[in-house]
Amino acid sequence: MTAYAINGKRESAQADERCDLEELVRGYQSMVFSLAYHFLHDREAAEDVAQEVFVSLDRHLAEIRSPAHAEYWLRKVAAQRSIDEARRRKRRPQVALESVAEPATETAPGDPMLGERLRRLIVALPETPRMVMVMRYQEDLDPTEIAALLEMPLATVKSHLQRSLALLREKLERRGKGER
Amino acid sequence: MDWLEQELQQALARKEPRPDFAERVRRAARRRAPRASRWMATAATLVIASGAGIAYREHQGRVAKEQVMTAMRITAVKLTEIQARVKEVRP
Repeated sequence: MTAYAINGKRESAQADERCDLEELVRGYQSMVFSLAYHFLHDREAAEDVAQEVFVSLDRHLAEIRSPAHAEYWLRKVAAQRSIDEARRRKRRPQVALESVAEPATETAPGDPMLGERLRRLIVALPETPRMVMVMRYQEDLDPTEIAALLEMPLATVKSHLQRSLALLREKLERRGKGER
Repeated sequence: MDWLEQELQQALARKEPRPDFAERVRRAARRRAPRASRWMATAATLVIASGAGIAYREHQGRVAKEQVMTAMRITAVKLTEIQARVKEVRP
């Protein structure tokens, strides 16, 4: 990540702060957007959440100490904002294009439809296990890192992962196409 | 990692937002910045207005005090005149 190659200059020139934000947006927009998108399954809402996260980062730029800190901060805030947005939407239900029920089709491993089916099953999970799954399989984080980000015990993270995987497996197998 | 976990990794692979996303963020960050200074300006206006209000009330108090003092001085002069006339009438 190159954002902090220019970070040293930030103290001397105000204009560099904007430059840093732009570098961070370029470097992490896909991570932040995808966390929100896979959690909400709504492109429009995910872009709004991601935008909010980066605007918030802009206000806290002075507190960011390293690229690793920026990444950690963005993941944490993106997770919080996505959960907040999901709760807000629960109070005011709305139907995103992506949430419209698709025709019942059978899926199998390696099937391109399986990916979409899995995303729909993930989005149907309760908020906490859903975010745990997105962190695990989108960001490839281990349970210890997820526990730190979501401020929950390691055992809870492991339990959410196990139960969610079992649930997904069961739902896919119920359709008779989950076995390999 | 079993087949389901591999499928999940593929299904949840990172995606890109729309190409104008970075520009949207830049515009939104710019909009936020002057908002803070607008709040500062509003706060400064309130402080000045309340300060001016206090100064005006103090000024009104001083004017009222001067009016009372003038009225008392006039009354004292009138009483002195009346007292002098009473003395003249009584030998």
